[in-house]
Amino acid sequence: MNELVRFSKNLNSIFEIRGVSRRDFLKYCAATAALFGISELEFTSKVVHAMETSSKKPPVLWLEGQDCAGCTIAFSQILYPPASSIILDKISLRYHETVMAASGDISEKVLHETVEKGGYVLIVEGSVPSADDRFCMIGGKAFRVILEETAKKAAAVIAVGACATYGGIPAATPTKGVGLNKALPGKTVINLPTCPVHPDHLAGTILYFLTTGKVPELDKIGRPVMYFKETIHDNCRRRAHFDAGRFLRDWNDPNQKDWCMFEKGCKGPMTTSDCAVRRWNDGISFCIDCGGVCMGCAEPGFYAEMTPLYTAESETSKRFWAMRESNLTDKKNS
Amino acid sequence: MAKKITIDPITRIEGHLKIEVEIENGKVKNAWSSGTMARGFEAMLTGKDPRDASYITSRFCGVCYSVHQMASARALDAAFGAEVPWGGTLIRNLVMGAEYIYDHLIHFYQLSALDYIDIMAIAEYKGNDKELLAVKDKILSLVKSNDTYPLTPRYEPDEFCVNDPELVIMAVKHYIDALKMNAKARNMGAIWGGRTPHYQNIVVGGVTSYPDVNQVARFRTMLDEQAKFVNEVYIPDVLLFGTGPLWKLAEMGVGGGHYNYLSYGAFEKEPNGKELVFPAGVIVGMNPAEIKIDKFDPDKITESVKYGWYKNNKPVHPYNGEQVFDLDKKGAYSFIKAPRYNGKPMEVGPLARMLVAKNPDIIGLVKKGAKPGAVARHAARAIETKLVVDACYHWLDQLLIEMTKPGFKIHDTNHWNPPEAGMGAGFYEAPRGALGHWIKIKNKKIENYQAVVPSTWNASPRCENEIRGQYEESLIGVPVPDPDNPINVVRVIRSFDPCLACAIHIIDPQTNEIKKFIIE
Repeated sequence: MNELVRFSKNLNSIFEIRGVSRRDFLKYCAATAALFGISELEFTSKVVHAMETSSKKPPVLWLEGQDCAGCTIAFSQILYPPASSIILDKISLRYHETVMAASGDISEKVLHETVEKGGYVLIVEGSVPSADDRFCMIGGKAFRVILEETAKKAAAVIAVGACATYGGIPAATPTKGVGLNKALPGKTVINLPTCPVHPDHLAGTILYFLTTGKVPELDKIGRPVMYFKETIHDNCRRRAHFDAGRFLRDWNDPNQKDWCMFEKGCKGPMTTSDCAVRRWNDGISFCIDCGGVCMGCAEPGFYAEMTPLYTAESETSKRFWAMRESNLTDKKNS
Repeated sequence: MAKKITIDPITRIEGHLKIEVEIENGKVKNAWSSGTMARGFEAMLTGKDPRDASYITSRFCGVCYSVHQMASARALDAAFGAEVPWGGTLIRNLVMGAEYIYDHLIHFYQLSALDYIDIMAIAEYKGNDKELLAVKDKILSLVKSNDTYPLTPRYEPDEFCVNDPELVIMAVKHYIDALKMNAKARNMGAIWGGRTPHYQNIVVGGVTSYPDVNQVARFRTMLDEQAKFVNEVYIPDVLLFGTGPLWKLAEMGVGGGHYNYLSYGAFEKEPNGKELVFPAGVIVGMNPAEIKIDKFDPDKITESVKYGWYKNNKPVHPYNGEQVFDLDKKGAYSFIKAPRYNGKPMEVGPLARMLVAKNPDIIGLVKKGAKPGAVARHAARAIETKLVVDACYHWLDQLLIEMTKPGFKIHDTNHWNPPEAGMGAGFYEAPRGALGHWIKIKNKKIENYQAVVPSTWNASPRCENEIRGQYEESLIGVPVPDPDNPINVVRVIRSFDPCLACAIHIIDPQTNEIKKFIIE
């Protein structure tokens, strides 16, 4: 049996590195079993079992502060690999209020035990109310306190969504929500803004960390460069219409269907993210594609600097327009 | 001697909820529901461009995201005087339909199912179905590696927990399948919604997504897959559990409450808006033998803040809702206000909708002896999912006809710019129940914005007349034989599909004095 464990450990790492899914592995096992003339089922379950009992999955804690659970839902949307396989095969999700079976004291106990041991990945969704701790209490404790205690022994901290990264919409409310940039000063945090977090950004960041044990390269404001390097505008399919000065004014006109959304308030020119290339929901669409506009949710200035959302009258939009008039907006080769 | 227990946080819901119950002789004697997080969106909207509201209020909740966008857009439609063309309404209904299907699936499988099955019974599965064996393997390997998070720890299984290995292993397989199915349902909505969570295409006056034939075909193909799962897996599962191992819970009517039901109505079937998939109506103190439906009158809604962390004020209509935070208020225990209809607390949601619609399937279950309660709520949710699926086919057919007409429209472009002044109410049915948004506009800006959302109705605290809210009332008499294992309490609460983030309102920041928190 030991030999099998060793064999599968090696296999495991080989497959992980090559990005082979469990399903592919099962298929491989079945083929091998057929080759050796043994019962497929027996062989598969033995090898897989050995593989899975021998690999230690990294513990993950997911905290929710002033959130809407949209980032949780985005996470559950990952199909390749399916979210269920991430939760069951790749990580050990110890605490997640929206997902976990435990409630009340039992759930708080798990959190406490995991924090004691340290070495976990901490994912944070939602902002921290800076006006008064009492705007967000969990298990009778202020969220701010829970967050500070939990961040201390974390191996990596990932802030998901606009709220947890830079404060997002709650920053503009009387509760003065702040993101981890202000709630955990001095701590290295991987920031995955957008409202909600893009499922691929989150899956990719988790898998990157699990595969390499490293934090991906980050830009000045803590966003992984692999996802946040060019503006949406620079990669937008409607860019040619912008350059030609064709702006959508009537949603009922099929001829204008693909024209630039700038006059309707699109913040694509001031927003750095790969939405226009990656798109959303497995590439089906994204904000601009459905005739909507980019709201700038990947930027620290969201939402306060982006309002009004549906016209080009925000200061941010005006600034960009002034730059364009001065011919400063040609494609950057940064 | 009564014993008080607190469950905080209630997990597998949206948001932050604390439930306190007093137990005497193995039953709940008294209960308090408390929302423990606030963000203050409505206060922030004051002074903003009204069109921002539909985008911002979507962020009330990331689970039932775009129902707020929808209710908000309807409030704006009314305030701007916009008339949504039938094409715009059809696309709105289709993307909302997609949201319903995903939301109900995720609620039953991901958020509720774990309360009703003894997951460890899987070890006893003796069958030879390959797919089920793979599930067994998976779970057992987790057990052996001593890492069964997040499926455990949990409350201990009780007498109502299903422990037949065949049933349990099937439920767990469906849990995993449903996770994929609801992700696919969201992809279906994204065809016109742009992305999920939070659609991007619903605006005042209609929608922004000009449809093409390929999209209709794609939506229909994806809908076929959803319909198959709803008809062949979801509904059979709910009925199998509800009328089988959980029938006793259904007969006892655990989690009943006040038996007052409210539906605002939603989902137009025809351009004249008369025929709805979910009709509007009110039931007060339901008598199962003879269900009497009253007409819904929006003027009868008030909100009380007596037990909320807001400065005291008498109950007012949401149009005049003005509250100021008071975090030190004596006796207050929730950020949730207490909405009442004609002074009475109401249950909203699938059960309310199906009873108001006098849906034959749900009436049939009631006639068979199921009392309205936690189990009936799950059944109603499954039944109405099928109604929404069927309606989506109807809307797709209508959309194809509409698209080929000359002058096809999806948006009322003449009413895109905000009016000088105006007010409007937007009523809608969210997956979790009746949802209303109210807006007042002055100088082309938002003067006042209020939302009364489903979980505000259901999770409300007591009001002026000391009448308990619907969660609180529904817990009275619920069996809790072991105070350390209050599994029935969480079952009842989860059957409502709580969504706390949107249930919590806020205030006028100017007059807000926030004082130090004193722990008593």
